[in-house]
Formats: sequence, C-alpha cells, structure tokens
Amino acid sequence: MRKYENLVIVKPTLTAEEIQASVKAIEEVITSNGGEIATTDTMGMRKLAYPIEKNERGYFHVIYYSVAPAAITEIERRFRLNEELLRFVTIKYDTNREIKAWDGLVEKANKKAAMSAKAAETPAATEVPAATETPVVEEAAAPVVEEVPVAEATPAAE
Amino acid sequence: MSEKRKYKKRFCKYCEAKVDFMDYKEVGALRFSLSERYKIMPRRLTGNCKKHQDMISIVIKRARAAALVPYTVTRKAVVTQPFENLR
Repeated sequence: MRKYENLVIVKPTLTAEEIQASVKAIEEVITSNGGEIATTDTMGMRKLAYPIEKNERGYFHVIYYSVAPAAITEIERRFRLNEELLRFVTIKYDTNREIKAWDGLVEKANKKAAMSAKAAETPAATEVPAATETPVVEEAAAPVVEEVPVAEATPAAE
Repeated sequence: MSEKRKYKKRFCKYCEAKVDFMDYKEVGALRFSLSERYKIMPRRLTGNCKKHQDMISIVIKRARAAALVPYTVTRKAVVTQPFENLR
C-alpha cells in the first residue's frame, strides 16, 4: 500500500447535487479498486488559472488515500473515461519525508472539515455580526453629509 | 582586479525557514519563486539553493497542471489582474 493524493476538478456546469454525486462516484472508483480513503478536502468552486474545455471555473476536490501501486493505472483510466471531470492530478507520496508530509496534510484536512462542520452547526453566530455591521455603515455616511457645508463655507470666508 | 560584488550575497529563504516539503495547493507560498508572468524565477535571482529550487520547480509544475497557477499570461491579463487569483 502506497500513499497517494488526487486532486479532481469537476465541471462547473453541473448542479450542486450532481457535483456531490460525481464526487461520490469518484471516491467509489478508488474504494472499488482496493483503496482506503484517509480523508477528503473540499476546496469548492474556484476560478481556474486558465480555461479548460472553455470552462472558466471548476469544483476542486482533494482525496487522500492509500492503495496498491498497481491499481493506480486502473483508477486513472476510469478518471479519463469520466466526462464530468475537467482535470485530475495524482501525486505519489513515497519517501519517508513525503509520507510525513502526507500525514500532516491529512491532519490539516481533517481539522478543516471539523471547522466547517462546526460553522454549519451554528449559523446563528454568523448572522449576529452581520446585523451589527449595517448600522455602522449608516453612521459613516452621516458625517460625510455634514462636511459638505463646511467646504462651501471656506471659499466664502476668503 | 579588486572587483567588488555587484549584488549582495543571497541566501536561500527556504533553507532559512527549514522547509522540508512544499504543497502545490498553497499557491501563495509559490509567489516568491514566480515572476510577474508566472515564469519560474532563476536561482541566480532568488538565491534559492539547488535542493529547494528543484523542489519548487516540481511543485510549480504540479500547480500548473492542476490549473492553480497559469502556464503563461498574456499582456492584457498582466495589466488587468496582477496576482489576483494567487491567494
């Protein structure tokens, strides 16, 4: 078993549910070929650095897994057949240093997933600061109006 | 003869930070070794050591394949969005 990482870009033209379904299908490809998914990291919809198949945006998803090296060719073949995928990048983590880095990345992704899960649980907390921000904008707008007569008064004094 | 060094001696910033591994998904960290037009900066300008230059060139090429960093930028794109999508 060797440690791998796969970055997958799904077409942005699909709906949210279709994207989730295709991500699940991609993970299914890995598990059906004997892979063990350590963790996944959703980077979400992002702007691509250059258009791929005339798409300016893409849904980025990263999968960390370990699998026997022989299975990678089959996994990549299945990815190439998948028309919902714009691009995939497979990275091998082989040396001791790389494996250590892989462990760190998995831990980081787990932490990120836990954070986003916590944020989803308490949507009320995010709404409160948004409500307080609106009066601040009104206060800032008020002094600007007051300054206008002052500016008019100075040329008159000269 | 007593020729003075034109530039000050440069040190590898990655050695100083003791970088062991670079992640191609952290695009902001790659900025240092990329030029305005997203070319890989040569070692003589950045002062990177050979080991870290080899690492960064591999990582940048991976990020390019993953559409996180552009291969090239046209003149128009350079003016309109300087480093906007690198974050």
